[in-house]
Amino acid sequence: MVRDKLIFCYLMVAPAMLFTIALGIYPMLYSMWMSFVEYDLLRIQQYGTPFVGFDNYVEVFSDPRFVQTVSNTVIFTILAVSATLGLSLLLSQVLNANFRGRVALRMAVCVPWFVPPAVASAIWMWLLNTERSPINYLLRDWGVIDSNIRFLTDSTAYGPFSIPMLAIVAVRVWNGMPFAVIFILAALQSIPRTLYEAAEVDGATIMQKFWHVTLPSLKPVLLILLTLLIIGGLGSFEINYIMTGGGPNNMTNIMAVYSYQQAFSFFRFDLASAASGVILILTGFVCVFYIRAQFKGTQQ
Amino acid sequence: MSATTEVSGARRGSWTRLFDLRSGDTLTKVIVILITVATLIYILLPVFWMLKSSFQANVDIRALPPKWLPENPTLQPYENAGRLIPLWRYVWNSLFVSVTASVIATFLACSAAYVLGRFRFPGATLILALILLTNLIPAITRTFPIYFFIQDLGLLNSYAGLILSYVGFSLPFAVLLLRGYFESSAPPELEEAALVDGCNHFTAFLRVILPVSLPGIAAVAIFTFLNAWNDFLWASLLLNQGDMKTIQVGIGDFAQEGGGVQYVNAFMAACVVATIPALIVFLFVQRWLVGGLTAGSVKT
Repeated sequence: MVRDKLIFCYLMVAPAMLFTIALGIYPMLYSMWMSFVEYDLLRIQQYGTPFVGFDNYVEVFSDPRFVQTVSNTVIFTILAVSATLGLSLLLSQVLNANFRGRVALRMAVCVPWFVPPAVASAIWMWLLNTERSPINYLLRDWGVIDSNIRFLTDSTAYGPFSIPMLAIVAVRVWNGMPFAVIFILAALQSIPRTLYEAAEVDGATIMQKFWHVTLPSLKPVLLILLTLLIIGGLGSFEINYIMTGGGPNNMTNIMAVYSYQQAFSFFRFDLASAASGVILILTGFVCVFYIRAQFKGTQQ
Repeated sequence: MSATTEVSGARRGSWTRLFDLRSGDTLTKVIVILITVATLIYILLPVFWMLKSSFQANVDIRALPPKWLPENPTLQPYENAGRLIPLWRYVWNSLFVSVTASVIATFLACSAAYVLGRFRFPGATLILALILLTNLIPAITRTFPIYFFIQDLGLLNSYAGLILSYVGFSLPFAVLLLRGYFESSAPPELEEAALVDGCNHFTAFLRVILPVSLPGIAAVAIFTFLNAWNDFLWASLLLNQGDMKTIQVGIGDFAQEGGGVQYVNAFMAACVVATIPALIVFLFVQRWLVGGLTAGSVKT
């Protein structure tokens, strides 16, 4: 009986496990291996894949473009995560209130979730086109600016920031915010009302209730959301790749795009793997926090 | 913020309470409403712009000042899009790949999630940890080995290669979500009763657990469908030639073949077509999507 149960368990979990290993764990390990050998598609026929130790990592980190890419990725992630968290905290509060048209508003907020990143990039490329942008037109019409903002091509750097970087962050936030809103909204609905009632008896204002009741109750969910958003930001690819390809002057290049370009434009799969190895290490750190939070959650 | 006001009032669903001067929160409310309106414009403007452009003549899309409403709405762009690229064929490709991947992934995820959630067996924790890890680490870190892997299987530029990959990528998330869902929707007593009635574990799973968990299963199926439908990275790598392309890759290529310049309205029509299926699915399942998503991801 017990043996039957064991066999049943393993049979049920085996296909999913097979997929997870073949398309998850094995490629991850293989990629790690590739980052420690020479894997140049143009030389592989002749020289094979000799072990080179940390040479690939040394090589990418001595490429100023990659160093800039790492800092771009960090800036991009910080900006996108904080904007997403801030806006979605506010929107989820609004959507949790009772008012006419709440369901319609909730649906409207969710719409960008279902716009594929390829389409989102294409629409925003039009909206942010220097000459044709309706945004530029409105800003000029209202007298806010004198000359068109070159949203995606302005190569002036303001420290680590630049206009194209901010534009790409805006698109990323646009595409990613609905998920965060729904995530927080669900958690809001599970906060006991008695907490708010008690706060009201004490005469708390909206802001006080938010700081002293809502935020503390949301803390576990926000931590999980935060790690998910950070991981997503560090590995994000599509929007940057499609909208600017990393330009102008490498200003919007992030690690995943750099890695992809090394592989499929220059056939340097070893350098690409080293770059993705850096992503793996960074996200690995974040994952440890996430998994610990998750296991804590189940124990409670 | 305004969400918290609802608990104070006895009456539901009124805007008037938002401007209740006695509470001394008017400033907070006004600021919240202003930010919400601005965010809504930010969220909806690109979608509106895509929609209206797909019914406009090219000159009107380019017109300055911008024409916000089509003066002579026409379906011509949709016809043109169908002529310029094999649009409907791409849609069919995407539907076929996404639906197949979603069905397979959901089925495999159900069986794995069930035993991982219900039984303690040696290796279960390790399996769960591997699944969690695969779910979290960004896709770019395993792109290259998977590319070679699919190539070695002889499945580059085939539906099967892409379907296999999508099943692999969606499974971890689906398993985690369903595991949480089974725990909350199907209490162990349910299957104990089934076992007493002469079911074995597998038939109990099939006849008792699955039917009561349909909303969660549907949510997972929709998620895996959307993941596949929205994907650009993998489709552009694994299936990028000829008529078998998915709609997202088709749009990416169309953008470079004049969609961004001389055929803007046809291009926007193609973008609408690429977005509509996901939106329709969402409108239908909106309610349980939210519940199903959070039941799994918050509690796992």
